[in-house]
Amino acid sequence: MLVACITLISFLPFALQLLLHESERQLMSRAVETPLVVGKKGSSLDLVMNTLYFGDDVPELLTMAASDRIADTDLSLPIPMYVRFKTRGNPIVGTTLDYFEFRGSKMARGRQMAVLGDCVLGARVAESLDLKPGDSLVSSPESLFDLAGVYPLKMKVAGVLQKSHTPDDRAVFVDLKTAWVIQGLGHGHQDVTQLKDPTLVLKRTESNVAATAKLFHYTEITEKNMASFHFHGNLSAYPISAIIAVPYDAKSGTILRGRYLSKNETQQIAKPEEVIDGLLQNIFRIKNVLDAVIAMVTLATVLAVILVFALSLRLRQREIQTIFKIGCSRMTTAKLIAAEIVIIIFSSAVLCSVLMVVVRSVANDLVRMLFIK
Amino acid sequence: MIPRRPLTRPNMSSIRWLLTFILLIVGVSVQNSDAAGPLNVYVVNYPLKYFAERIGGDHVRVKFPVAADVDPAYWNPDLADIAAYQQADLILLNGAGYAKWVANVSLPRSKIVDTSRKFKNRYIYTEEVATHSHGAAGEHAHEALAFTTWLDLEFAAQQAGAIAAALSRKRPELRNGFQSNLEALVTDLKGLDRDIQTMVSKNPAIPLIVSHPVYDYFTKRYGLNVVSVHWEPDEVLHNRQLRELKGILQQHPAKWLIWEGPPIPASVAKLKTLGIDSLVFAPCGNVPDSGDFMTVMRHNVEDLRRAFSVTQ
Amino acid sequence: MIAISNLKFSYRIGNFTLHIPEFSVDKHEKIAVIGPSGTGKTTLLNLIAGIIVPSRGSIRINHTSVDQLNDAQRRQFRITHIGFVFQDFELLDYLNVYDNILHPCRITKALQLDPAVRQRARMLAQEMGIGDKLKRQASDLSQGERQRAAICRALLPRPGLILADEATGNLDPENKTRILDLLFRAVEEHDTTLLAVTHDHELLKRFDRIVDFKEFRD
Repeated sequence: MLVACITLISFLPFALQLLLHESERQLMSRAVETPLVVGKKGSSLDLVMNTLYFGDDVPELLTMAASDRIADTDLSLPIPMYVRFKTRGNPIVGTTLDYFEFRGSKMARGRQMAVLGDCVLGARVAESLDLKPGDSLVSSPESLFDLAGVYPLKMKVAGVLQKSHTPDDRAVFVDLKTAWVIQGLGHGHQDVTQLKDPTLVLKRTESNVAATAKLFHYTEITEKNMASFHFHGNLSAYPISAIIAVPYDAKSGTILRGRYLSKNETQQIAKPEEVIDGLLQNIFRIKNVLDAVIAMVTLATVLAVILVFALSLRLRQREIQTIFKIGCSRMTTAKLIAAEIVIIIFSSAVLCSVLMVVVRSVANDLVRMLFIK
Repeated sequence: MIPRRPLTRPNMSSIRWLLTFILLIVGVSVQNSDAAGPLNVYVVNYPLKYFAERIGGDHVRVKFPVAADVDPAYWNPDLADIAAYQQADLILLNGAGYAKWVANVSLPRSKIVDTSRKFKNRYIYTEEVATHSHGAAGEHAHEALAFTTWLDLEFAAQQAGAIAAALSRKRPELRNGFQSNLEALVTDLKGLDRDIQTMVSKNPAIPLIVSHPVYDYFTKRYGLNVVSVHWEPDEVLHNRQLRELKGILQQHPAKWLIWEGPPIPASVAKLKTLGIDSLVFAPCGNVPDSGDFMTVMRHNVEDLRRAFSVTQ
Repeated sequence: MIAISNLKFSYRIGNFTLHIPEFSVDKHEKIAVIGPSGTGKTTLLNLIAGIIVPSRGSIRINHTSVDQLNDAQRRQFRITHIGFVFQDFELLDYLNVYDNILHPCRITKALQLDPAVRQRARMLAQEMGIGDKLKRQASDLSQGERQRAAICRALLPRPGLILADEATGNLDPENKTRILDLLFRAVEEHDTTLLAVTHDHELLKRFDRIVDFKEFRD
């Protein structure tokens, strides 16, 4: 019991330290790797958390014109992101192929997404949902009664990424256009001008055919119906949640940041490293309070342990007298008692070390589960 | 003072080895800058292939996987083709909605070059379109953009410029070479452009009929008086088409019909009965059976000259 | 065996003083020491064992002047020549019987824990009738069994002298007799001398000599 007590009180601050260190490392490494993020003006933390860690809070949406704006500057490679939808609890990340090259992602199985409707799974998603290339996955509606909005699209699993120990492991990647199809901005249906069923045609004139609401929109993109999928209007007006901007060099990055400083600017450019650093500062302030609390608890426990040892000695006074009478020297008695204390502390240390090894081995996933969703 | 060792034979040998080593290192590092190999460039039509090869020379390996008998604008790649495009160093797109398949596949945007981006505000929208409407959004038109931008030789030069810029971004050390190649190409294109303008100026209002609505940019550039039908050069004209033609001729008394490919003699004969001669102006969207883009275009101009040489 | 002469001892706290002018015990004698509580009977045993040192006088056991020895020497002498049996048995409840008997060998280098000693422990346990209980925890034994284990522990180092301080004090009448029988038999069989402090007047007649401590109290 004493061993368990000392183990626990030693393990807790170390484990907490390890987990916080690991969460700092995970958050910061991802942030440092991502040079700049552009989004609608608002909470830079929401923007960064949604774009880098696929957090649930979707920032105010941008349009593709914002990505074109960055491309036109010739200062930076824009990687548009649309992180809004989910499938079986996992975030659907709409992006372009440049994202994978930027993150250094490698395929473990299958191929990269090629056509509309393809998706590429993060390693953990494939494991947890037991999916492999060739299987299918249906997107989740945004709300139960969203009849006219986002509807389930059956996506085809093209490939599975190698484990990267980043939020990418828990994401489902689709092309931006597929994300827009999920939203209902793009769709496929029968050729309206060729409709024979009169119940499908509302009105037919020389230049226009109006279809009724009965017209079926495909919920799965196949080889047969892919040609029918289309997008209306100018793609520059289509929504995205953020843009990862990868400057071609440091000077270009600085110039690009400068272009978003105007007071009338409706967009913001954030450096994830700075945003996450600010977040961690806050966490560490809380951590300092936690450290103080744990220190006091530790002190109280150490005093309690000392009391336990002292009481134990008092209770064993008779035993000590006995062995002294039998012939044991006071030095030997002291050594015996010291050995007991050392064994208890050593056992606690070993147990604590074992627990720390276990925590360290699962720290990556534990941190993601507990602190980073 | 410490006496120096004289440069004895063994010392000279060491220096020779050292110099050789240094030269080797320098040589390897120089070679390494070229060791990256030619750029792997994928294109969506033949004109872009021609431009890229003229500008890039040995520094590019241009791939155009469309079969010779397929119209590249309507070609659909399979997964292997898509993967090949994804792996390219550069993907040259025509823009203006050319190659419909691009809209439904995933390509790395960093490698895509929309060669007509700079003049997208001058795209031509075709008028004859069937719209459809459904759902709450109401009527929307599936508009068609005219996409044979290279037939406007000024646009062709701009597309070539876009290709040169893209190649230079990828291989900045070869910029000068690309630039001089571009200038040579643009000289050729501008020369041809001048020839056409001179030719057309002789008889600018001459009414013409074109067999396919693929000459929008060409007719707009040179201000031609054109009406389009939708006929295939390898199909015999039937009576309905001839009736359609007669109706057109009442308002548009053309004497020449421009085919996009060699028409079958039976069709030519039928047109002749209506007093219409045939000539061929190949849009050159795919690889020609012989020659190259410039030779095809020069041949096109020579054939067209027949229409502008005859006094109405 | 034991020769005490002109012995005087006082505790630092309190005004208890023990004064023994002459006291001797012959070899193989079984002596009972009686007297009212607080007269110094246990103090005498502690002086003989060398646990405490007299302020004056001499204590000789065989040819060794225990009072002249230093702390370590007294301790050494005690563990090799004297076996202690206590009123409250003083076994370690967290050890089994076997380990309790062997305990003296584990707390001092003066006694070697070798196979012969282990065999002796098993033999003593057999003699005391607890041979089948060696693996049981000391806390699981009855009063009588615990005292037998204590006697085994006392006899393990082949002591020349057994000091029993109220060895039967916490036992029921049946066990008192039995334990005393065992103790006497062990003393005879193992060639030792017994000096037992007791309040049990019923058992006095079994001893060779009775020493009344009233004579020594100042």
